[in-house]
Amino acid sequence: MRIGALKDNYGADQALFDTAVQRLWLALGAVALLAFPFAASDYWLYLACLVGIHIVSTTGLNILTGYTGLVSLGQAAFMGVGAYVVALAETRLGTPFLLNLLAAGLVTAAVGMVVGVPSLRVKGLYLAIATIAASFILHFVFQNWTAVTGGTRGLSIPPAQLFGLELARPFALYWVIAPLACIMVLAAANLFRTRIGRAFIAIRDRDISAEVLGIPLLRYKLMSFGLSSFYAGVAGGLWAYFFRVVTPESFPFVYSIFFLAAVIVGGMGTILGGILGAVFMTLVPEALKLVVGLLSPWMPNAVAMLSPVRTIVFGALIIGFLILEPHGLAEIWRRIRRFFHLWPFKT
Amino acid sequence: MNITRRQALAAGIAAGGLAAGIRPGLAQANEIVIAGSIPLTGVFAFAGIGINDGLSDYVKIVNEAGGVAGRKVRYVYEDTAYKVDQSVAVFNKLTGSNAANFYYSDSTGFAKTINPELNRKGSMIMAGASFATELNDAKAYPNQFIAGPDYSDMISVLLTYIAKTQPGAKIALVNSDTEFGRDPVATTEAMAKKLGLSIAEKIVTPPTSVDVSTEVLKLRRANPDYTIFHGYVLAPLPEFMTQAKQLGLKTKFMGTFWSMDNSLWAKVGEAANGFMGVMPYRYYFDEDAKAPMLAKIRQMRPEYVSTAYMQGFLTAMLFCEAGKRCLDAKQEMTATNLKAALNSIKDFDTGGLIGAPITITGNSIPVGRVYQYDAAKKVMVGQGDWINVSKPS
Repeated sequence: MRIGALKDNYGADQALFDTAVQRLWLALGAVALLAFPFAASDYWLYLACLVGIHIVSTTGLNILTGYTGLVSLGQAAFMGVGAYVVALAETRLGTPFLLNLLAAGLVTAAVGMVVGVPSLRVKGLYLAIATIAASFILHFVFQNWTAVTGGTRGLSIPPAQLFGLELARPFALYWVIAPLACIMVLAAANLFRTRIGRAFIAIRDRDISAEVLGIPLLRYKLMSFGLSSFYAGVAGGLWAYFFRVVTPESFPFVYSIFFLAAVIVGGMGTILGGILGAVFMTLVPEALKLVVGLLSPWMPNAVAMLSPVRTIVFGALIIGFLILEPHGLAEIWRRIRRFFHLWPFKT
Repeated sequence: MNITRRQALAAGIAAGGLAAGIRPGLAQANEIVIAGSIPLTGVFAFAGIGINDGLSDYVKIVNEAGGVAGRKVRYVYEDTAYKVDQSVAVFNKLTGSNAANFYYSDSTGFAKTINPELNRKGSMIMAGASFATELNDAKAYPNQFIAGPDYSDMISVLLTYIAKTQPGAKIALVNSDTEFGRDPVATTEAMAKKLGLSIAEKIVTPPTSVDVSTEVLKLRRANPDYTIFHGYVLAPLPEFMTQAKQLGLKTKFMGTFWSMDNSLWAKVGEAANGFMGVMPYRYYFDEDAKAPMLAKIRQMRPEYVSTAYMQGFLTAMLFCEAGKRCLDAKQEMTATNLKAALNSIKDFDTGGLIGAPITITGNSIPVGRVYQYDAAKKVMVGQGDWINVSKPS
């Protein structure tokens, strides 16, 4: 049983990983991430890359919705902006892969800040509607600015190149997506140890009080939109390199709901929640497919017959988690940790 | 026994983890594998279920007859919910655990996305639910084909029929504002000009539009002889037709493959009467002495099967035919050899599934027939003969 962690300076108090056990688990996790591509099949590598992209985007939305309290349903459209920026930079300018990703993040951040302007006047459902409207405008642009976006046919992208290597397959892209996702998650976690992050939380908890405390609302709300969109832009850029075709239908409105659901299911306002939510939303449908597949020896038509049931089960699982654990998967994870901390005296 | 909510959640997580850890079985040698990303749920499920049945039934028929060149055919598939990312996941999963020779794709988006990987693998050829004109390019999509005419070919069949029955007719085009809907617009205009037909109006609507009164007024102003819809399944076609009839418009309404299922129009009722469109395959109920395969299908499935079923069935037939020709020529079943075997198909009898012998020189089968819905009989009735719109090579 652990009775506590001794901290004898402010640095230790603010550390992201404050115990040796945590750091050990982190090291083991890093080793597992490094070893994973050599042990996994193409299918699992593909899923790992997709999870990585979803983690980046969900973390971005978590900064805006979970930490700043600004509901957005435009995350997919922002990803679309990033994807188109990468596609254009790659096909027309031929600029390096990482520079394209950075450009995708910056351009999307600028777009996000424009979309975030109404957040000073409206919040909650009203802001959600404003972001939906913005996402429809962006989709209209994707579809009709044919000279730039390729219209409904979209744009095809050659594989990314890094140090002369072609990043065409999930195995190669994993080495870019996984580190980038880790860096961006760590950056987000660090953000909330800074003045800016604390300002976001203050705005979420009570914006009028935050303003009274001297936090300029417009600046910080737009900054939150910008940061969130930067994450979406980078995720969109990675998505573009991963799928190598970008069309207006690549980022449907329902994709934004996917990210909002990931934030809520994972746990709003926690970095771990964003990660767990993205993993849950991406992998549970696949896990359910495996369960359905297991029934095939006894039910030859199991996949065809049970696929609609699978969709219902996925929906029911989300509702179940929300009812049983409204604080999300992150809270479940914390309870599991607490169990081991207190074992064997309290379980 | 009392189960706490924590225990229930833990059990759920454990079950999920267990399921995720189990890997699918590996392929057996000396078999032919057809794999598929099939949309069994989601917006395209109405077609996916029929496609799946069609593929399964043809594989069953072939296996009961001894397989393809002595090899059994195995069909493996998974649901994609009509989402590109899930389709790619299914592709990776199925081709990773099965030595797939043929692949069925569920959408244009997936077909475009997976094309580089398909070319890289070089071990299978692919066809699917997309009839996109873009895919009908053997240079850009060397390992893919369309088991029917592409969307531009479908419109060409309709325009050829119109030019024959009413030379110089005025036409209105109504397209959904999607990649699917906008696909054949440019080629339609060129083809109409060539056939001496005039385009009186071009209307683009959202794919799920409900209120079409403004568009119907545009139609009234243009007063076309024919109105061709493309990029929809059913809605908003019945609404268009009902309102047009109320305004006394004489225009004849036409559609393309995905709008042509008989059961869709049977549910619409009287308003559907007279709707016309292009079909690449015969309907389930078509009685023809030259269609023994349809008789076989009716024997296997006493209830009506959809047009999507026919598409899946024919795709499986062409997969098996390409495999047979490849094996008969004692060639390895690579993508290049399978595609060459497919392209060797000349004047091939599909058992009456298509009413004319087919030849596949490129990536499509540019043949179709115009059908018209008879609300009294509740069936689509063939109009004229099968039309071949293949371009001179």
